[in-house]
Amino acid sequence: MVKIVPTPDWFIGKDVVIEFFSLIILIIFTIIAYRYYKLNRNRNILYLGSGFGLIAIAQLATILTKLVLYYDIGPSEQIGQAIITSQILKSVDFFYYAGFFFHRFLTLLGLYVIYRLPRDRKSIGDYLIVLYFVLISSLLSREIFYIFHLTALFILILIAEKYLLVYNKNRFFNTKILMVAFGLLALSQFVFILSDIGVLFVLGNVLELISYAIFLALIIRIWKYGKEKKPYGNNIRYAGDSSGKGRKH
Amino acid sequence: MEIISDMLAIVQGKGGSIKPTHLMYKANLSHSQMKSYLDELIGKNLIKKEETDKGRRIAITKSGKDILSQYSRLREFEKTFGL
Repeated sequence: MVKIVPTPDWFIGKDVVIEFFSLIILIIFTIIAYRYYKLNRNRNILYLGSGFGLIAIAQLATILTKLVLYYDIGPSEQIGQAIITSQILKSVDFFYYAGFFFHRFLTLLGLYVIYRLPRDRKSIGDYLIVLYFVLISSLLSREIFYIFHLTALFILILIAEKYLLVYNKNRFFNTKILMVAFGLLALSQFVFILSDIGVLFVLGNVLELISYAIFLALIIRIWKYGKEKKPYGNNIRYAGDSSGKGRKH
Repeated sequence: MEIISDMLAIVQGKGGSIKPTHLMYKANLSHSQMKSYLDELIGKNLIKKEETDKGRRIAITKSGKDILSQYSRLREFEKTFGL
């Protein structure tokens, strides 16, 4: 069978651990966003949660596929049972390709949802065009693996640039952290483009791990800040200032 | 939502209890607005009225403190993502 994942042998399994860590962070973001949406019904928060949720499902798809691929459980067990027919091989291949396809498709879709926020009104046609290109990128990546990473890199650069603009407006340290995390994720995609070399595949995974660790640090900061006792809270309704200037934390 | 969280923050900022008139001024509300919001907050068990030696006071409850923390985190989250 063709080598589907360019993981060096010594790194097999470790990449799944990194992806599992990412999955946990993504699930936390999804749950937090949904809880906050229930609190104030801000649809942008719901869409943000959906974006993270889609990427979480994508991570789950790749984890399950890799577990089967690395540890020969499930359908691939049949290969070793002397009933190796081309039919079985085809079905096993289909399983891998379907798993990785969902990973690519849902990741790109989730990133696009995050990029589009805050959401202004667009025609359904605009969304269909984007959906079409995301689908094409995901399908083409089966043959040309770097198409997915190139598309993800492109969207991630746009996301990081968006948060740079938000940061220039609000000068809020958390937004800076967010921008750095997405910037590092973009860098990891750039490294993955060159990941035919095994070491770079590992480096890409390490960069991904660092970015998700930064996301975790951001969640902790938001959580901690909410616990702090602030005289008069954020009471900003009358000042008309949402820049957070002068806020010390 | 913002008015309610601001009212809770003001009570909390005053050590957990405040005179109703002070709350009204600090929250920049009219008497009728204040009464309406107070009824809502009491109904949701976020604040309670207390009779003390210094007269009637408004105090934040445990649920009120919890919801205030959630609002603070929500604002932090919204601001982080520019939403």
